[in-house]
Amino acid sequence: MSQEYCLVASGLQYDTLNNNYRQKNGRRLTMATGAPTYKIILCGEYGVGKSSLFRRFMNDTFSMEKGKKSTIGLDQASQSFQVGGEEVKLTLWDTGGMERMSFIGQSYYRGANAALLCYSINNKETFSILSQYILDIVMNAEGAKIFLCGNFADCEAEDRVNDADIENFTRECGNVLSGSYQVSCKDGTSVKDMFADMARVLHRENAKKMTLRKDLVIQPGVTPEDDDIHKKKCCTSS
Amino acid sequence: MDEEYDIIVLGTGLTECVLSGLMSVGGRKVLHMDRNKYYGGESASLTPLDEVYKLYKMGDKAPEHLGRGRDWNVDLIPKFIMARGKLVKLLIHTGVTRYLEFKSIEGSYVYKGQKDAIYKVPSDEKEALSTSLMGIFEKRRFRNLVVFIHGFDKNDPRTWKELDPQKTTTKEMFEKFGVDANTQDIAGHALALYRNEDYKNASMVEFIERVKLYFESLTFFRDSKSPYLYPLYGLGELPQGFARLSAIYGGTYMLDKEGCNIVYDDDGKVIGVESGGEVAKCKQVICDPSYAADKTKKTGQVIRALCILNHPVANTKDALSTQIIIPQNQVNRRHDIYVSVVSYTHQIASKGFYLAICSTTVETDNPEKELEPAIRLLGSIEQKFITIKDMYEPVENSEKSGVFISKSYDATSHFETTCDDVLDIYAKVMGEPFDFKKDERLEQQQQQDEM
Ligand SMILES: Nc1nc2c(ncn2[C@@H]2O[C@H](COP(=O)(O)OP(=O)(O)O)[C@@H](O)[C@H]2O)c(=O)[nH]1
Ligand SMILES: [Mg+2]
Repeated sequence: MSQEYCLVASGLQYDTLNNNYRQKNGRRLTMATGAPTYKIILCGEYGVGKSSLFRRFMNDTFSMEKGKKSTIGLDQASQSFQVGGEEVKLTLWDTGGMERMSFIGQSYYRGANAALLCYSINNKETFSILSQYILDIVMNAEGAKIFLCGNFADCEAEDRVNDADIENFTRECGNVLSGSYQVSCKDGTSVKDMFADMARVLHRENAKKMTLRKDLVIQPGVTPEDDDIHKKKCCTSS
Repeated sequence: MDEEYDIIVLGTGLTECVLSGLMSVGGRKVLHMDRNKYYGGESASLTPLDEVYKLYKMGDKAPEHLGRGRDWNVDLIPKFIMARGKLVKLLIHTGVTRYLEFKSIEGSYVYKGQKDAIYKVPSDEKEALSTSLMGIFEKRRFRNLVVFIHGFDKNDPRTWKELDPQKTTTKEMFEKFGVDANTQDIAGHALALYRNEDYKNASMVEFIERVKLYFESLTFFRDSKSPYLYPLYGLGELPQGFARLSAIYGGTYMLDKEGCNIVYDDDGKVIGVESGGEVAKCKQVICDPSYAADKTKKTGQVIRALCILNHPVANTKDALSTQIIIPQNQVNRRHDIYVSVVSYTHQIASKGFYLAICSTTVETDNPEKELEPAIRLLGSIEQKFITIKDMYEPVENSEKSGVFISKSYDATSHFETTCDDVLDIYAKVMGEPFDFKKDERLEQQQQQDEM
C-alpha cells in the first residue's frame, strides 16, 4: 500500500485516526501549531443561509446558488483568530444539506464546543422553531455554547424578527445563549466580527475552566506538553 | 419525490451508506431513504438506553442503577475494525475519518477447551515463545510458523521454504511445520480469523495473507495489544459518517419514509421506488434484504446476546475492551463463538459499565445453549438481551432487474466481509471495480498540470 498515514495520540490513551495527518508528496501535513481549536456546528432550517455563512467563513465569498451546489464536497473549514495576543482556531461545520428532507444524525454534534443557531430575520417561522434545535443541541452536544445568528440583514421585510422577539426567546431559553448576532451573508455585514467574537467568548470560557482545573495536569489538545505526546506517538508505516 | 435519480438506496445500514457515499462521490445522483427515523438500520447504536429496553419489549424504562440513559450507545451487531483492513482503507480514502475518533481494542484472547480458560493471542514471535497456550516444544514449532509467515513473499521463491504457493494447502503447510491441532486452531481462528474449517483445504496463500493482515493491524498503533479499532460513541457513527459524505456530494436523504416499495416494469426491470403514493424514478436500486424480500433467500441464523456488565471480564487484565474467540473445535462446534467487549471509555455506556456481545452462527434448535461457553466467561451479568436473526443474501442474478441487494451482517467479529460485499456491489453497479488509487493519481496529475 503506497498510501502512508500517521496515527496520532489525541490524549493520553487516545489514538485518533485523523485525515489531516495523511502523507502527501513525502511531506507530512501537520497541524501548524498547537493552538486551541473549537468546533462550531451550524444549526437551523434549510435555506436560512448556513452554507452561505460557511462560505463567508471559509473564503469570504457569496453565491446565490441554492442548496448543495455551493458547497459540494465541503463541510469543514478552519480559521485562526487572535484573542488577547493568543492564536485560537475555529473549525466550522456545515450540515451538508441533510436537514432539507431529513435529520442530521447525532454524529454531527459530537464534541462540538459551540452551536451557531441560524435563522432568517425575514422569516419568523425559522426563528420560532429554534427551541427545538436547542433541545437537540443540549441532548447531543453536552456543554456546547449556543449562539444566535439572524441572517438576511440586508433584506427588507414587513414581518421581521425584532429585538423583542429575541429578548423573549433568550428569556425562555433560561439564558443558555452566549451571544446573539445579526448579519448579512450577501454583503458580508458583521460576519467577520461575529466569528471573532465567538472565538473570544469560547476561548475566555475555556481559559476559565483551565484555571479551575489547573491541578489536573492533562489538557488534551491544549497544553504544549500534549504536543510532545503527538510527536512521540506519531508513527508511519507503509 | 417526483425527481429522477441515477440510484436510489434503501436502508441506511453501513453497507448501504458506504455505497451511497461512493456513488455520490462518483458523480451519481443519489436518493437515500430509510423506513426508520434514525440512521444505521441494524448497524445503528441505540440511544438512550430506554430504546434498548423498548426494542426487546422489556418495558419503557431502563433501571436507574444503569446510570444516565443518554450515556449509552448500544450496538446491536458486534464488530470491530481491523486497523489495516478494507474498512480503514475506505475510511481514509473517502476522508470519513474526519468525522470519527477511534480507540484501539486492548486485548485479544482465545479460549482453550482442555484448560477451560482464555489466553492472550500471541502478537509476535517473542510472545509466541512465552505464551502459556502451548507446551515448550509446540511453542517452537509455532514460532517457526510465525517466522515463516512474516517472511513469506509470494513473488520470492527464497521465502517459500520449498512449499509451492500455487499447490500447497494450509493443511499441508501445517504438516510441514508439525504444529498440533490446538496450534492450528489458534492460527486458523484467532489469527487468520476463519470461522470454520474449510480453510484447511484451500491455498496457504490466503491463510498467510490473513495472518499478515492480523499482524500488520497489530502494529498499526505503536502500543496496541490487538489488531482492532473501535469508534467512540459506537458503530452507529460509521453509517452516519458515510451518509454525511454522500450528502455533501449531493445525495438527498429522507428518513422515516413509509413503504419504500420497489416498482418494476413489465420486463421486471426497476423503474422507481414508491413511498406514500409517490414514485421516485431511478435506473438502479441498492438495498438491504428487508426491502427486497422476494429476491433474497435465507442462508442461516445468527444469535447474539447483548450483556451489560459492571465489571471487566475475568483474566483479561481488567481490559476496558477486548475480543475473545472460542474456536469451534475447542467446544465441539462447527462455527466459532465470538465475544466482544467495549465499555464506558468508548462512550457507549455510563461510567463503570461494560457491554459484552456474544455471537455465533446457529447450529441447533436451542441456540441460547450454544452461547453458554461464552456467557460463562463473563461472570455476573446485569442484564442480558437475546436476538436470533435470520441471515439473507440475494438470489442468483437478482441484479438483472437493476436491484442490487446487500447481504445480512454475519457473525464475523470484524467488517472485512461487509467490505467485500460493498466492493462487490460497487463493481456490479458501476461496471468496474473500485479503485483505491484513483484519487491519488488524479491528485498527482493535477499537481503536474500546475507545474
Ligand atoms: N439576500 C440574501 N440572501 C442570502 C443571504 N444569505 C444566504 N442567502 C441566499 O439564501 C439561499 C439559501 O442559503 P444557503 O446558504 O444555501 O442556506 P442553508 O440551506 O441554510 O445552507 C441562497 O440562495 C443564498 O444565496 C443574505 O444574507 N442575504
Ligand atoms: Mg446548506
